[in-house]
Amino acid sequence: MDWEAQLKLQAFLDGELPEAEAREMADKLAREPESAALAAELRQTGALLAGFEEGIRLPESREFFWSKIEREIARPEKAAPAPPATLWMARLRRFLVPATAMALLAIAGFVATRQSGSPFLLGGAETETALADPGAFTYHDYASGTTLVWLSYPADNELADDEEAVTVE
Amino acid sequence: MRHIRIPRTLLLGWLGVFAFSIAGESRLQAATLKLQVQLIWGTGDDHSPDPKHKPLESDVKAKLKDLPLKWSNYFEVNRKDFEVPASAATKVPLSEKCELEVKSIGGSKLEIALFGKGKETLRRTQTLAKGEMLVLGGNAPNATAWLIVLKRLE
Repeated sequence: MDWEAQLKLQAFLDGELPEAEAREMADKLAREPESAALAAELRQTGALLAGFEEGIRLPESREFFWSKIEREIARPEKAAPAPPATLWMARLRRFLVPATAMALLAIAGFVATRQSGSPFLLGGAETETALADPGAFTYHDYASGTTLVWLSYPADNELADDEEAVTVE
Repeated sequence: MRHIRIPRTLLLGWLGVFAFSIAGESRLQAATLKLQVQLIWGTGDDHSPDPKHKPLESDVKAKLKDLPLKWSNYFEVNRKDFEVPASAATKVPLSEKCELEVKSIGGSKLEIALFGKGKETLRRTQTLAKGEMLVLGGNAPNATAWLIVLKRLE
C-alpha cells in the first residue's frame, strides 16, 4: 500500500472523503486484508489519542488560554517598530561617548590651566595696562618665575628723596 | 508618541560634566587669594644701619640674586600677609607714603597698582601662580634700592 493510499485511508477514517471515494475505500477494505489491518490500527491509535486528550484539563478557561496565545503572537508585532529607535540611539551613542570624553579632557585642561596660571597657555604672564612711569622697564626670569618691574624714580620717598640715574646692571 | 531612550550612563556623564564645570568655575571665581608683600632695601653693604631691618629669607634672596640687580645684600623693612577676595581690591600700606593695591580679576590674574604719596605710579595686570613673585623696584639714595616683593602664598 503506497503513501497516497495510506493518506486516503486516513481521510476515509476521518470522514473527509467524498461519498463516491468513501464507497470505493469501503469496498477496498472489504477486499484487501492489508488495508483493513491498517484501518484497524489507525482506528485504534485514534481512539487511544482521543482517550488521552480527555484526561488533560487546562488550568484556565479556554478563552483565557487562547487570549494568552493571542497576546504572545501580538507582542512581537508591536515591538517591530523598535529597530529605527535603536539605530538612532546607536548613532547618538557613537556621538555622545567621544563627545563626553572630549568635554572631560577640555574641562580638565581648562581647570589645570586656570589653577597653574601657566603663562604659555594663558597667553603671557603679565600685561601692562597703564604705566605712569614711562622710564620703567620689565624683566621676566622664567626659571624662577619672577617678574621685575624697575621704575625710573623712587616711589617710596622714605627710602629715597631724590631722583637718581638708573643703577640696574 | 514614540519615547526616545537615552542611556542613563551618558545622561549621568553629561550631568557630571556640567556640574563639574560649573563647580570648578565658581570655585575659581570665588577663591580668595592669600598673598604676601615685602618692602625690601637693597644695598652693597653687609649690614643695615637700621636695627629694625631684618635679613631676607633665603628663597627670596636667591630669586633676587637671579635678577639683573647689582646689590649684594637685601634687608626686609616691612612685611604684610593679606587676602584678596574674588573681584575685590585690597589696599596694603607699606609705609606712610607707599601703598600697594591688589585686585583679583579671575583665576591667578591680579591687577596691581602702586601708589607713592597718593599718586599712582604703576598699574599692571599680572598672572601670579603659587611660588611666583613680582618685584617692583627703584633707586634709593647712596646707591641703594627699594624693592616691593609680592608673592602668592595660596
